[in-house]
Amino acid sequence: LLLLCVLGAPRAGSGAHTAVISPQDPTLLIGSSLQATCSVHGDPPGATAEGLYWTLNGRRLAPELSRVLNASTLALALANLNGSRQQSGDNLVCHARDGSILAGSCLYVGLPPEKPFNISCWSKNMKDLTCRWTPGAHGETFLHTNYSLKYKLRWYGQDNTCEEYHTVGPHSCHIPKDLALFTPYEIWVEATNRLGSARSDVLTLDILDVVTTDPPPDVHVSRVGGLEDQLSVRWVSPPALKDFLFQAKYQIRYRVEDSVDWKVVDDVSNQTSCRLAGLKPGTVYFVQVRCNPFGIYGSKKAGIWSEWSHPTAASTPRSERPGPGGGACEPRGGEPSSGPVRRELKQFLGWLKKHAYCSNLSFRLYDQWRAWMQKTHKTRNQDEGILPSGRRGTTRGPAR
Amino acid sequence: MSRREGSLDPQADSSISPLPHLEAKIRQTHSLARLLTKYAEQLLQEYVQHQGDPFGLPGFSPPRLPVAGLSAPAPGHAGLPAPERLRLDAAALSALPPLLDVVRRHQAELNPRAPRLLRRLEDAARQARALGAAVEAVLAALGAETRGPPVEPAAAAAAAAAAATDAGVFPAKVLGLRVCGLYREWVSRTEGDLGQLVPGGPA
Repeated sequence: LLLLCVLGAPRAGSGAHTAVISPQDPTLLIGSSLQATCSVHGDPPGATAEGLYWTLNGRRLAPELSRVLNASTLALALANLNGSRQQSGDNLVCHARDGSILAGSCLYVGLPPEKPFNISCWSKNMKDLTCRWTPGAHGETFLHTNYSLKYKLRWYGQDNTCEEYHTVGPHSCHIPKDLALFTPYEIWVEATNRLGSARSDVLTLDILDVVTTDPPPDVHVSRVGGLEDQLSVRWVSPPALKDFLFQAKYQIRYRVEDSVDWKVVDDVSNQTSCRLAGLKPGTVYFVQVRCNPFGIYGSKKAGIWSEWSHPTAASTPRSERPGPGGGACEPRGGEPSSGPVRRELKQFLGWLKKHAYCSNLSFRLYDQWRAWMQKTHKTRNQDEGILPSGRRGTTRGPAR
Repeated sequence: MSRREGSLDPQADSSISPLPHLEAKIRQTHSLARLLTKYAEQLLQEYVQHQGDPFGLPGFSPPRLPVAGLSAPAPGHAGLPAPERLRLDAAALSALPPLLDVVRRHQAELNPRAPRLLRRLEDAARQARALGAAVEAVLAALGAETRGPPVEPAAAAAAAAAAATDAGVFPAKVLGLRVCGLYREWVSRTEGDLGQLVPGGPA
């Protein structure tokens, strides 16, 4: 059985010299100093330190940093050390006069970890818990630093350690199961390296207060009859939470096909359809929806928004008359939206009902009037003949 | 095998496996060896990158110390008869996996945030086993005797690991470089030896 001839062990009869570096693999603070020695052994005896030299990470060190301590020992003094260049350690090597390697030692120069902070956690459908944190004030310790997410039930139970790391970035961990509801957890992060350790502040949370869910499925976008500035959006409530009592908030965002600017409609509460109005005619729109399941089991905290659903596209009917830019969501019941024209109209209708006793007026009537106006304009264009560019010669009817 | 080394004689002993099957097996194993030679080169480059300079610098030459249970191909290897060369190839490929496992364990401590390096080391151990088994299958198909695996390779590797760990981090890095280098040498040697058996290949 052959044994490995480790660096530093002499080979009998070979005439070769080897050496030992001290200290072996030290750990040091950035800015500190190092005193090291290279002691030569040899066969035949009488190995000398004369001619030896040092390299650090492959670069020869200045001779003035070394001095011969005795016949067989060369000393080295390094001051104000920089952080290690690689996590496996800086390579300090003692060379013979001919450049051959006699011995090596790896230096670990860095900083102790700083306190991790900014822990945030969320639970997907109350089934798991994922947490993310920010490492220490500067992050770079120049040493391998191990982060460990710990958690326990607040008033009883033992400390547990999260095991699935890097699930949503380098400083994250996922707890897949066995989580209790209606009772707070204490969560913290411990950072450890060769120079020390640090612990974050403790985050206390109830799983029910940090629930998120899947994006709403089955998002459909369709035209609203012949209305050229409206699209109807329908979706389904996230099925994973269908058995749980919660209020849902939804947000819709939409953009024109060749634009990167999204418009957001965020006052869509607890309903699964909405009408976008004030859109451009003859234009393709991309639409997405997301859900916030707040109030699960009576939780008073705002939930956490889901990811956006996959984009769904639809186009408004084409018309020669340019429609207004921007828009807002109209619920299917014809309730007022947040657009400025419609807001003013709502106020006007409210005033009319109060002072002019026009109880039959409503947004439904207004929409019907608009659809009638568009049809009337198209018919008139057909009678009068449309210009080759598609532009009208004159415009009639109310301005938008 | 004919007296003319490096070729297959269809007139030879009828106990040899049917020729087309043998040729196919040799070609496949040769292709595998060629692929693994490329992977071995990538492993070596990845390895030196993570150890830091002077590893990977041109002219870096740590002592080529013997590794437990495995040495580099001897200078006279190419002059040996084909079955003997393949037997030595198979023996070396059999000795490599436990050594590669030792290196992977060292690197898991030294470079825990180098998943690609760790994966390559794990893959190399599997690939060495696979190529060794394929070479032994070729030897069996040629009707040549296959030598048994080296005596207690796992024990030899464990001894190497303990010695390297006790000696420090730098010797562990050097051991890993040596093992990765040996892996590349033996896979390349195997590719060359099989290449001489491929019909139409160099004699």
